[in-house]
Amino acid sequence: MSTILDTKTPTHPRQAATMQGEIRAQGSDTPSLSIVMEDRKTTRANPAKAAAEKLNFWYGSNQALKNINLVIPEHQVTALIGPSGCGKSTFLRCFNRMHDLQADTKYEGAITLRPDNVNLVGPETDPIEVRMRIGMVFQKPNPFPKSVFENVAYGLRLRGINNKTELAERVEKALRGAAIWDEVKDRLNDSALALSGGQMQRVCISRALATEPEILLFDEPTSALDPIATAKIEELITELRQRVTVLIVTHNMQQAARVSDFTAFMYLGELVEVDATSKIFTNPAKKATEDYITGRYG
Amino acid sequence: MEAEHQVPAAPGAASAPRVQPAAATHGGDPLEGHISKTVDQSLSDLRIHAVQMGGLVIDQVGSAVQALTERDVRLAELVLSREPVVNDYETRLDRDSLTFIALQQPVANDLRAARAIARVGLELERVGDESKKIARFAARAGALGQNDPVVAVARYLRHMATLSSAMLRGAVRALDESDPALARDVLAMDREIDQEFATALRQLMSFVMQDHQFLGATIDTVFALKGLERIGDHAKNVAEQVLYMVEGEAPRKKASAGGA
Repeated sequence: MSTILDTKTPTHPRQAATMQGEIRAQGSDTPSLSIVMEDRKTTRANPAKAAAEKLNFWYGSNQALKNINLVIPEHQVTALIGPSGCGKSTFLRCFNRMHDLQADTKYEGAITLRPDNVNLVGPETDPIEVRMRIGMVFQKPNPFPKSVFENVAYGLRLRGINNKTELAERVEKALRGAAIWDEVKDRLNDSALALSGGQMQRVCISRALATEPEILLFDEPTSALDPIATAKIEELITELRQRVTVLIVTHNMQQAARVSDFTAFMYLGELVEVDATSKIFTNPAKKATEDYITGRYG
Repeated sequence: MEAEHQVPAAPGAASAPRVQPAAATHGGDPLEGHISKTVDQSLSDLRIHAVQMGGLVIDQVGSAVQALTERDVRLAELVLSREPVVNDYETRLDRDSLTFIALQQPVANDLRAARAIARVGLELERVGDESKKIARFAARAGALGQNDPVVAVARYLRHMATLSSAMLRGAVRALDESDPALARDVLAMDREIDQEFATALRQLMSFVMQDHQFLGATIDTVFALKGLERIGDHAKNVAEQVLYMVEGEAPRKKASAGGA
């Protein structure tokens, strides 16, 4: 076997990775080549975790969502982008029935949650049950005025977990999952309100993670944070997809580009285009999408 | 350069575990240590692919010249068959650097790295083209007799191949290690290859004055020599991109006579 860079050249630790793209000869007489290189970033969709089907939604007589059909792939990050008032937050809130708290709203169509195919917006479905399975993180960090520990333990206690050891274990796991354990492990009994904005937001993510939701919804999770805290949350979101399916609404298109696998562009209550994020941000199919992401309107 | 009649295989097969750019092994590498692992990974992938491509084209240069000087048609065909792979690397580097810029919005040294690596891909692709031309000549030259122009300057062809390969190797290694000193060494080597080219041309002139029989082959040989000289230039350009990537400024090129 001849290594391409001869023995005098790179003595670099990464040399082992050099030519990990496999070049192999096919046949012996006339060598032809094929090169097999691994994909840098997956753009293939995993199986669906949830699917919106012909979803319509009204605030009174105002139709905010118009016939939305969108598949949310499991263990991937799907970003919703679009100008203010396009319905992206409204759509996100349908997933955990936030609109039920408001009078005079109406759902039509379905959001089906796999694997049991429960219709999240069906009148027969209990919103409390839905919220057990679908966590949410809001724009402004909103920890309860309690200790860090109690913030995260709250949902667990609601579910009847009172065993101290189990609570402690699950709180630690959730805080680790949100990449904040090291920063708060010595201050678990301090008020969560004493933390920095970025830390508070990660405690809120821990709180959402503690009950092990299947989908985590993020509504503008970093718009109240500074760039470094934002970078940490973004890194956390890209890691979280290994454990949970993520749906994120963001005003910040660059954030959608950085963190998501799929991007959906919404405008005036309609879903205009959805595709792999690398496709949307290099060569979107629709002119409306291109105009929006390039800052020509919106 | 020892080229073999087989396709170079990967030191680790494709299934081998990927070597993660661990911070421990790369303490001060300017392309690493971001909060976002995606950025680390993207830059690392870009650079690994550029280095792999460099390895491939270095072998292309050596094999093409060996095929020419040793009348090895089969080796020439091997070089020609690998040319599409070189092009694939260039396409991939171009696409991936564009995607990286679009999705991660790199700034400062990250932005320079993405741009530099895409341009390195372009330079290496041209090295591949020069090798391809030499290999084509080698495939044709198989029927020539013993006393032909290639034989007359074989020594120079080999020496220039060695020099240009050494320059490429240095430039690719400079990229791999983000090492400006290595890149500067490469710039200093270009002069020697230019001198060697001038000497070889003089040699060819005296050859063709004595024997007009191989005029066509002589012209091809001039192109082969010129190709090797150009490969040195491309290696120099790669080294300049590394300097741009690491230090933010590439060495100044001479301004045009008209000034700008």
